[in-house]
Amino acid sequence: MHRLETLGEKEAKGVKGGQRVNAVEGGRLSGRQLAAVLILSRVVPITIAFPAITGIEVPQDAWIAALLGTLLAIPFAILVVRLGLRYPDKTIIQYSEVLLGRYLGKLVGLVLILYWIQTAATVLRACGEAYTTAVMPETPLPVFTIIMAFLAANAARHGLELVGRTGEMVAWIVLFFLVLMSVLPYDVMRFRNLAPVLPRGLRPLAEPTGTVLALFLQIVVIGMAIPYLGRQREATRVSVNAVVVSGLLMTWLAADLVAVFGPTVSGLTMATFSLARMVSIANFFERMEAITIGVWTLSLWIKLAFFLWAAAVGLAQLFDVPDYRPLLYPLGAIVIVFGELSFKSIVEREVFYEFRYFGVFSFTVALGTLAILQLAAFIRGRAASRAGR
Amino acid sequence: MSGVPGRRALRAGTLVALAMAATLVTGCWSRRELDTLGFVMAIGVDRAVEDRKIQLTVHIAKPFAMVARSEAGGTLENKPFWVVSSTGYTVFEAMRNLVSQSPRRPYWSHSRFVLIGEDFAREGIGDILDQFQRDPRMRHRAWIVIAKGARASDLLQVEFELEPMPSEGGMGILLATRAELSTAVADYTLHTFLLDLEGEGVDPVATRAEIVRRPHEFDIRGDLTREVIGASARITGAAVFRDDKLVGWLNKPETRGLNWVTGRVKSTVIVIKKPGDEDNLIGLNVVRARGSFAPHVEGEEISVLVKIEAEAAVEDVQGFVDPLKSPGFWDSMERRMATVIRNEVLAAVEKAKELDADIFGFGAELNRRAPKKWEAIKDRWDQEFRRVRVEVDVRARVTRPGLAIRSVRIME
Repeated sequence: MHRLETLGEKEAKGVKGGQRVNAVEGGRLSGRQLAAVLILSRVVPITIAFPAITGIEVPQDAWIAALLGTLLAIPFAILVVRLGLRYPDKTIIQYSEVLLGRYLGKLVGLVLILYWIQTAATVLRACGEAYTTAVMPETPLPVFTIIMAFLAANAARHGLELVGRTGEMVAWIVLFFLVLMSVLPYDVMRFRNLAPVLPRGLRPLAEPTGTVLALFLQIVVIGMAIPYLGRQREATRVSVNAVVVSGLLMTWLAADLVAVFGPTVSGLTMATFSLARMVSIANFFERMEAITIGVWTLSLWIKLAFFLWAAAVGLAQLFDVPDYRPLLYPLGAIVIVFGELSFKSIVEREVFYEFRYFGVFSFTVALGTLAILQLAAFIRGRAASRAGR
Repeated sequence: MSGVPGRRALRAGTLVALAMAATLVTGCWSRRELDTLGFVMAIGVDRAVEDRKIQLTVHIAKPFAMVARSEAGGTLENKPFWVVSSTGYTVFEAMRNLVSQSPRRPYWSHSRFVLIGEDFAREGIGDILDQFQRDPRMRHRAWIVIAKGARASDLLQVEFELEPMPSEGGMGILLATRAELSTAVADYTLHTFLLDLEGEGVDPVATRAEIVRRPHEFDIRGDLTREVIGASARITGAAVFRDDKLVGWLNKPETRGLNWVTGRVKSTVIVIKKPGDEDNLIGLNVVRARGSFAPHVEGEEISVLVKIEAEAAVEDVQGFVDPLKSPGFWDSMERRMATVIRNEVLAAVEKAKELDADIFGFGAELNRRAPKKWEAIKDRWDQEFRRVRVEVDVRARVTRPGLAIRSVRIME
């Protein structure tokens, strides 16, 4: 490990003349802040809608799919971090150029940036849809997406440090209310709805597990944050922790949703949102949807800011722009339009989240780029050690 | 450095623009003021006179009538509610059509009841429930109430004493019946109805209500003006559905039988004949009850073992008894209590089999415990259900005599 790190540094100096990342972004992030941001990013697709549950064939086994997806995501997170730690002062965009050369490296970097932009666009669109479906059906979508994109781009303009600090604060609020919301409808929970377990074996779980993993693959964005980590030794532990925490939360919510909604859960547009609607304590403490929406808005804001930041810094590094901040508002505008054009309706979005589209897309982009980078690193490592011998 | 003043001007310009934009957002986008809304407290659905159309009847609160009462401090000048009907080919169309009659826009989120006329319920209610499932304004915990022998629009006309709002009155009666008699199925809501519709091996039930006429046999008018309530409503058991169609009714003991099996009896009253003195009766107050069931498969035969534990207190005894001096009296009381419970359970099972509706969810439980067996028989569960042997194991305990161990002795 240590040998590889120094090797990476040496290589970096050799190829790029020791360019400092801090020329673009000067912030510092603590491990806990990174974990918070990663958890929030993972929490967004389960707080209102729950792509892995929508349309699932055996709803009572959704929690197994969530758990399996999480387990599979752990090695992926470790791989991403390990690769990043070879070049401790470089983002994934920069070291892909180091590893793959100028043109191929830039191409891979561009693919990743587009992946983040796509993620941000989907998330932003989902935000608007949730608002219009749940609370304000007459308000046009852009009202929400423009406000949200502006707030997120504005946060990202202030740098990763701000996103991280806010994220750390927001994460506690989000986790508290999410867990609270999931427990409050206790009187309608029937955990016997979870039986029979695996009536048709693991086969029908392949696609939902794939969807869960595909969502987790977005964690490749760690590659942008690693150089700004205060203590990089923590990187692996922090990332794995974030995957485990958000994965367990997802598993619990999947079980919880089935306990409350039984088989009907697979037909709900926004399952977790509907869960909050079921809260009724003493016929008085009711209709807590607003809290879910609030919680979700907060986490979504952080996720959006983080991905916009990643895309902006990535673009700046890709095209040697000295400052990434002027890119953020244009990026926000692009994301609004991209989100608007992505789907015609919520139904189309749900179709997109089916494994054959989103799963394949996410696997190709995230696993594909990572595989290419790993391979290049492996070959270069071998070449370097041979030369050094 | 000429950029600095330019930048300052830009900032000032931005500020002015923002300030001007702020004047545009002085209110909510789709704001509804309280005094422009009509709060719908209950929704009723019937088949309209026109073919294929749905008649929607709602009961809207009249807040100003409530205020008038508190100021006058006496009886109500106005009914504090308004019952109005509209029609449409779908529920949503009928909901929208309502605005042509209502000066205030109907506000749907407060409705606690979905009332359905018997005739309509027999046709199937899955299609209308879809609206209630989709619309975020509707409560998923709303109670589905079937009007036995009546239309929902008639049931919505009933009034209750003590509560000026019929929806509040109905809720009070339903909750109290659940809590103290357990002859209502108030735990079954729109939410559970949808779950049972989609669930395998279980059929839905809903609350059964009847209109009770309250004719006055003598003239009650006097110096004081008295309110006269012409018709009230009672909760008289449960409505049984197969798929989404109403197929029959459970009376009160049968409903309690269902509640014993599913463990939903909270408290109730059981009347037994007094041991050794069959002319007199004893009233028992069930204070705690637990119920569960487990299906068993032996070869081709499926049996269900229902286990019920109930704990009761003696509330009243007719005729003299001194349990200290009559050994066996207490045990005998417990056996009689157990018999009553067993009979109620068996009556509910008989009725369910007669209606071919697995309201207990025996099939669903079989699926949970023996998925392979269920997979094999689920297509002919209708017939299998009728052949299921139900054994009832009741453990009844009478634990408390109240403040008197023996009755007052009447000395001659």
